Amino acid sequence: MFKELRFALYAIKKNIQNNVELRTSFLMNVGGMAVNNIAFIILWVYFVKSVGVINGWTALDIIALQGFTALSYGLAYFLFAGIRKLPDYVATGGLDRFILSPKNLLLRIGTSWFVPSTLGDTLFGVICLVIYGIITSVTLYQIALMVLLIILSTIIFLGVSTAIYAMSLFFTDPESVTNSLYEIFLTPAIFHGGAFQGATRFFFTFIIPSLLVGALPVEIIRDISMSKLSILVALAIVWLIIPVAMFNKAIKKYESSNFMTFGS
Amino acid sequence: MREIRIASKIISTLTRDRMQYPGRLLVDAFAMIARCGILLLLYSRVFQLNGGTIGGITFNVAAWSMFFYFSFSVFRLRDISKAIMQDVRSGNVETLFNKPISYLLYRVWWQIGMGLFSFVAITIVGVVVLVLIVGLPTTMTTTIFILTIIPVFLGATMLSLAIYSIIGLLAFWIEEITPIFWIVDKAVMMLGGSFLPFALFPDFMKKLTVYSPFGASQFMTHAVYDSWAEQWVFMLGAQAVWTIALSLLAWTMFMKARQKVSVNGG
Repeated sequence: MFKELRFALYAIKKNIQNNVELRTSFLMNVGGMAVNNIAFIILWVYFVKSVGVINGWTALDIIALQGFTALSYGLAYFLFAGIRKLPDYVATGGLDRFILSPKNLLLRIGTSWFVPSTLGDTLFGVICLVIYGIITSVTLYQIALMVLLIILSTIIFLGVSTAIYAMSLFFTDPESVTNSLYEIFLTPAIFHGGAFQGATRFFFTFIIPSLLVGALPVEIIRDISMSKLSILVALAIVWLIIPVAMFNKAIKKYESSNFMTFGS
Repeated sequence: MREIRIASKIISTLTRDRMQYPGRLLVDAFAMIARCGILLLLYSRVFQLNGGTIGGITFNVAAWSMFFYFSFSVFRLRDISKAIMQDVRSGNVETLFNKPISYLLYRVWWQIGMGLFSFVAITIVGVVVLVLIVGLPTTMTTTIFILTIIPVFLGATMLSLAIYSIIGLLAFWIEEITPIFWIVDKAVMMLGGSFLPFALFPDFMKKLTVYSPFGASQFMTHAVYDSWAEQWVFMLGAQAVWTIALSLLAWTMFMKARQKVSVNGG
């Protein structure tokens, strides 16, 4: 187990070193993504100004929502961006070289790629949460809760990604299908949390877990809600176990396209 | 004449290709539901909570405005930036420069051909679904709307191609154009009225939308508002001016880029 983790950390380190070599491109990606994310803050803050407070959600809550979503997204793909390449590996036969590796397959795929812009997302997320924390004067207890929630959101992001991208093993045009599925998960995650009530709230919490990575963590911090925290912890465990089992089952379906891509 | 023949050949070949794979259309439809469907579902809730009207508009006006943005995005004209960048990075541009057709025009026709079938099919289905679910606002039954909706979509197509071609052509000078693409794309998304309809914009954003090429590339989202009856002449004019100016800029950049490339064969 520790050997596998040590290997994963080594692969991540090498990926970062590789990307930092192209310094200008690396910095432009990090800075560009951070600026890019500001668009969502502007949009939703003006949305709140136009429609007013909906179900207790203020402009500050929107900033925290964007912070949680960007930070968990950034951390998840900063560490394991390779999972998003799975459809590509399946379509081109590139998966063969990972299957032949003696390391844990999922970990090996996850750490096979690095996206510099995820650092921009992480940076943006931290800034948003710091702003939220300063303005709302969060307590030490809330800060500790925030750290726990970021870990849980990151686990959920990774679990959902694994489940979605594992589906690429069942389709002939895996990239388009998985991208669409991913969008169904991500779009509501950055939407105004107060708009989800009743059936939509249930659907985007328990069926498609979009609210678990942003809206629910904000409500837990704001209301210090232990019942919501328990739901989040339980669902994070579910989203940690089921996708891995799904991936292991799906991988048995894999038939090599054999494009002679060994070592590429 | 020859250019037109080549253009129609590229577009028709690609359209036929797309028609051969109904699965891809299904995926595009799926993506449309993911982006627009969920957003409309949630907006209907927000409008309900606010008594049916926000910023002087009703839900069906906001829904049609956002639908026009998302149906146009299925056209995927913005992908021309990535296609040009890929050609430059892979060196494929050398081969394409040697073809008996202008590279830039080839990329433009290619991009139109790639997205046209999905755009037309999904827009038709989307219009039917939206008419049945939210109904037609009265502004969409006026003569001005009927006469101007196709020209404004055509203007949006040309202007979008010009904007995204310019970003793509920057790849001849800049190592990494992706961050510039993100920022421009987000400007188009914000000012185009995707997540937030134009009627709910603050004043400074309304001005930015009307006077910037990013907003002008999505003017079809304005056609459903009451104000369209007075503003359509100005908006179509502004769209035409931006299209001409940015097309000229793209062409100048392309000419400079041609001089910069040295074809070594191989």
